[in-house]
Amino acid sequence: MRVLTSIAVVALSWLASASAFAQGSISALPRNETLIVENPEGTIKNAGWFNIWAINAGGQSTGLHQLGMDTFWYIDPNRGVEGVWDNSLATEKPIYNADFTEMTVKLRKGIFWSDGVEFSAADVVYTIETHMKTNGLRWSAAVQVNVASIAATDSSTVVFKLKKPNSRFHALFTVRWNAMWMMPRHVFEKAGDPLKFDFNPPVTLGAYTLNSFDPNGKWFIWQKRNDWQRTTVARFGQPGPKYVAYIDPGPPDKRVIAQLNHELDIIHDTSPEGMFTLAKQSKTSHGWFKGFPYAHPDPTLPAVILNSQLDMFKSRDVRWALALLIDIKAVSMASYRGAATISAIAVPPTGTHPEYYHQPIEAWLKDFELDTGKRKFKPYDPTVGQQIATMLRPSMGDQIPTDAKDISKAFGMGWWKPDAQAAQELLERAGFTKRNNQWYMPDGKPFAIRITVEGELRPVMTRAGSMIAQQWRQAGIDATTIVAQGSLVDRRSAGDYDVIISWSVETWGGHPDLSFFLDSWHSQFVAAPGKPQPPRNWQRWSNPELDKIIEQIRQVGFDDPKGLDLGRDFIKLMVREMPIIPLMSYNVFTVMDDTYWTGYPSAETAPYTDPVPNWGNTKYMMVKLKQRQ
Amino acid sequence: MRGYSVYLLSRLGQFALVVFIGINISFIVTHATPIDPVEQSIAAATQYGSTSPEAIAMMRQSLRELYGLEGSPWEQYLSFWRRVAVGDFGPSLSAFPTPVSVLIWRAIPWTVGLLLVSTVITWILGNLLGGFAGYYRRSSLLRFAGILAMAFHPIPYYIVAFLLLIVFGYLWPVLPISGGYMMNMERAFNLTFIFSLLKHSALPISSLVLVGLGGWFMGMRSLVSNVVNEDYVTYAELGGVKRRRILASYVMRNSLVPQVTGLAMSLGAIFNGAIITEQVFGYPGVGTLLISSVHAGDYSLVLGITTVSILAVSTTVLLIDLLYPLLDPRVRTV
Repeated sequence: MRVLTSIAVVALSWLASASAFAQGSISALPRNETLIVENPEGTIKNAGWFNIWAINAGGQSTGLHQLGMDTFWYIDPNRGVEGVWDNSLATEKPIYNADFTEMTVKLRKGIFWSDGVEFSAADVVYTIETHMKTNGLRWSAAVQVNVASIAATDSSTVVFKLKKPNSRFHALFTVRWNAMWMMPRHVFEKAGDPLKFDFNPPVTLGAYTLNSFDPNGKWFIWQKRNDWQRTTVARFGQPGPKYVAYIDPGPPDKRVIAQLNHELDIIHDTSPEGMFTLAKQSKTSHGWFKGFPYAHPDPTLPAVILNSQLDMFKSRDVRWALALLIDIKAVSMASYRGAATISAIAVPPTGTHPEYYHQPIEAWLKDFELDTGKRKFKPYDPTVGQQIATMLRPSMGDQIPTDAKDISKAFGMGWWKPDAQAAQELLERAGFTKRNNQWYMPDGKPFAIRITVEGELRPVMTRAGSMIAQQWRQAGIDATTIVAQGSLVDRRSAGDYDVIISWSVETWGGHPDLSFFLDSWHSQFVAAPGKPQPPRNWQRWSNPELDKIIEQIRQVGFDDPKGLDLGRDFIKLMVREMPIIPLMSYNVFTVMDDTYWTGYPSAETAPYTDPVPNWGNTKYMMVKLKQRQ
Repeated sequence: MRGYSVYLLSRLGQFALVVFIGINISFIVTHATPIDPVEQSIAAATQYGSTSPEAIAMMRQSLRELYGLEGSPWEQYLSFWRRVAVGDFGPSLSAFPTPVSVLIWRAIPWTVGLLLVSTVITWILGNLLGGFAGYYRRSSLLRFAGILAMAFHPIPYYIVAFLLLIVFGYLWPVLPISGGYMMNMERAFNLTFIFSLLKHSALPISSLVLVGLGGWFMGMRSLVSNVVNEDYVTYAELGGVKRRRILASYVMRNSLVPQVTGLAMSLGAIFNGAIITEQVFGYPGVGTLLISSVHAGDYSLVLGITTVSILAVSTTVLLIDLLYPLLDPRVRTV
């Protein structure tokens, strides 16, 4: 018994002594000089690999692409530090010839790699030529499909000759989350096979260089370069944090605990419940919005994606009927607990899109009529965003904005009115019949829909799918959910689903050009049933009118105002045809803690970039962050 | 001796068969998964960027060649066994081109360290307390310990783990809730690093001990309860042998044999990793590696981990089987 007593005494004294060291014990670095950020990639299996050009060779958002890499241009998903477009390694926008078969890039002078070698056109030429002759690098295929040759006309000018006209070739070098990064020629040319080179330690172009990393992949620490003035972000000032640590803090509950203990400055994403807990319990934690719905709406549009190659979804009437059987307010509550930003149209309601698309098209939506065969009616309800705000006000009080503009920004504008009668009329016109409160397809089989959801890997979207299944079941459709977990990517690519809750629309956010996702929607890329579908037309929908719009976009320049008109034409076509049922933007509950740092981006006062820290664009956040005094 | 040789050969044959069947099942299951590592890699490489559909098709072909996924399932099966024979599981598909063996050996010390310590602590504490409780049946302290051990035993592991996280990570934040050691600390054999290592393992080990203790406790208590009624124990008591000696030499020692077998089995299983523990506490180890490789469809890595696990468990069982007849001659004749 004495042994047991001794063990207990030792354990308690050890705990007591541990408490003395508990606070500030997460790192040996000076806490007030260190920004600690969640890396959503989690634990990196081969942590010692920094060769970002090799697929799967290591982490990307370990700080490597945010702080270490650079390329020609960045487009901000929000407003940007000095505008949405930033010439980073380039000094001006891409210069195309008349038929878009040649692109010239003027490079910035005085930019240095972290080992003191100056960046030049030779690095660009090396990067491209390495991808041209090496299969299996991250951007090999994209380069090989497009580039006929590259030449440096002087140390700061490169000219790409393209294999065929491509007015959006620059997108390959324009960061929206990531892009093709430049390689240090002087390092790689000595390294042998670029697929088998670990690039450890990485030689960086960004304002930070690697300080240390955990061989087991839990954390990566970057340190501000002494010569940060010789990097591209220096145009906006000195980066605030001396050290930036990207860590794997574990599941959402632990991220919340870590931030409550002030051991995690930026949570990449947590559950709505986690966000609400932090908002209530921590005075220093806040999201993109000051109050509800807190989250940052990413330029990504979760939607009900209908597999267009299935007979049951070939009729537009059926697709519209399914949309009219959804009550978006209930979906918003089920998925995001109300913290969703809804969109009736096929662009996410984020960044500059409300100004370019949602607001200008609102009048057309209000007038849009749907013909059920028995009557015509206007399905759009412009007040749905307001209704969600009103619904939340009793429980969330002052957190809910009252100004109509603020409500639209936070919760979205309008959506389709649930209308079971109109849905019935549309289904009947499509040859469907209802017996004993159960719908049957024209061939006499029950109208059964499997809704594929991702499961616990993406709980918010899973909850949306479950609610939609419930609503369709109440209307007499035999709807069930299937949890795909890790196989979602394969099922989506193979078209192995009836309906999937996912996204096939992703945009630049800050720039209105839609080719980022839309070009891949051309019918030339729609795979035959059973064959893998290339991203992003997961619905496998083809339409001659859509092809015409895409072909016209290909003919106009990136900034040409005609592109905006064509984008609006695309939206109208999507409303008429409803091949996917848009739901909301992908709201990311990024939570920032002001205990050690201030100056984070915010919707109201500082929308200079996306706070979601795995985006390459967050390099701009570093120059805005200031130590809290 | 001849009897033992026959016994040895038959057990070795069983061992080889179990390993062969186990690895084959793993091969079939991993290759039957709907998750394609190439599609996962393409999704990871393109999900945020702008990549043309033609480039995707080209990338798919390049990756299939690079990962060695060309060829029929039969060819892949033969190639797998050729590699296993020389201890090479090939490159990880989700951490290409790092060899699977490098990833496994990097993770194993953490898992083995964590589970070895927690298994031994649980076994010693559970058996000591259970032995005492079975012998000193009137002690109210030991009865209370028994109630505690039994109360924790049926609680799902993850509940206990989260309880510990909330108590010691948030309400009274005295222990780290994630990682294997303090960030930015140099890994060296010195007191500072060892202290950090111990501190980071305190919660995962405590959670495993709390949940595992009850089983050993109850097993040992019931074994001891039976042994104390044996004639030789009564005779020793009547003979005036000290109670402490009776407990140690007559009761505990005779009750320990099945518990030692249980310990050996538990030690063999430590190579499986403690998946939930590692996930909850963010502890680096085989469990974390296994989960991420399953999600990525990295069947090279999954196969590597399961093969190591099958070999470890089978070898432990074999060793127990081979040692048993030496301890208990009755087994030889069975």
